[in-house]
Amino acid sequence: MSSKTSTPHEHHIVSTGTYFVTLIALVVLMIATVAIAQVNLNAIGPFSGTVVNQVIALVIAVAKAMLVITVFMGVKWSTTLTKLWVASGFVTLILLFGILGDYVTRHYEHQSGWEKIEDGSLPRFTPDERTVPGPKSNDLNVKIRQ
Amino acid sequence: MSAITNSPDHGHGHGHDSALHHQFEDIGQQNESYIVGMWVFLSTEVMFFGALFFIYTLYRWNYQQDFYIAHEHLNVIMGAVNTTVLLFSSFTMVMAVQSAQLKKRGHVIGYLLMTIACACVFLIIKYFEYSSKLADHLYPGAGFATDAQAAFGEHAIEAGKVAVNMNHAQLFYSLYFGMTGLHAVHIIAGILVIGALIRLWFNNAKSVTLDFVPTEMVGLYWHFVDLVWIFLFPLFYLMPKPH
Repeated sequence: MSSKTSTPHEHHIVSTGTYFVTLIALVVLMIATVAIAQVNLNAIGPFSGTVVNQVIALVIAVAKAMLVITVFMGVKWSTTLTKLWVASGFVTLILLFGILGDYVTRHYEHQSGWEKIEDGSLPRFTPDERTVPGPKSNDLNVKIRQ
Repeated sequence: MSAITNSPDHGHGHGHDSALHHQFEDIGQQNESYIVGMWVFLSTEVMFFGALFFIYTLYRWNYQQDFYIAHEHLNVIMGAVNTTVLLFSSFTMVMAVQSAQLKKRGHVIGYLLMTIACACVFLIIKYFEYSSKLADHLYPGAGFATDAQAAFGEHAIEAGKVAVNMNHAQLFYSLYFGMTGLHAVHIIAGILVIGALIRLWFNNAKSVTLDFVPTEMVGLYWHFVDLVWIFLFPLFYLMPKPH
């Protein structure tokens, strides 16, 4: 470890200043996200103010996450193999959110039942009700949206 | 360490005082293996919490108005203070790791104790948040609609007489308690792990004093817990008003 040149195995000792500046940046971003959330922003193009507000909140959250991952978790100074594993978890997460595409593109809606049960209680069936056949099902437990 | 480690056949020149285990070529390889192993674990954690974030996204998308009205009962100030406390604890944790690299034992113990103190402050604030929700009957359960009606009744009038679907509001609180509760379990686990680490440092155990990476691994876990909260905070406390 005496060599000055950076080898993959050499561990970087990060200065207190770097860590402190990162902490300040994180706190500033936290205050910014709280401040912006108090304002109802205007719509931009096809995106409503709600979407604009939410996107800004998430962009700030991702920025904070990147600071924590790169500086505090030291990924910035880590080996390529480590970076690959760091990416793997988040790439899988993005793939998971791809499932949303299914909800957006399929034109099905929930069959009534959930909405009609007494507010605040889970559906409870008596043994009799369970044996009585309900409305004709299309085996998907959903009905096609008109 | 076993006698095999000291066998001259290895030719690494490491003796009893080396942190290097005999299956590794050098300390760099060993450290990389440790860190990669920790990230494999954290990847599973990303997916674990990720599924919950997905459920949140889906129901928030479907029931925007009800989620918005339900979220107004959360205390933004407490959430913001907790965020700051966790960010600061990440800083003290990373300073503990830096002190471990510089082999300053006293500093390591000091910073780790500060991290645990922050974790406890976080849990105490969470306790007050949870108890106020429990007092208002804002928790999922068989009597949610009738018991929580009082809290929402007033609110519905303030919000321009918007009717709240109590099932959807209950779903919001299921997600709130489920996700922040799972996060709190991670905080408690963190306190235990950091506590064990402090004990090892206090006893001058060679497993932690010879190399900084065991401390770094605990640090990675702690930063991950912070990371989850960075997303929980805006999603639950700072919901924008649906138009």
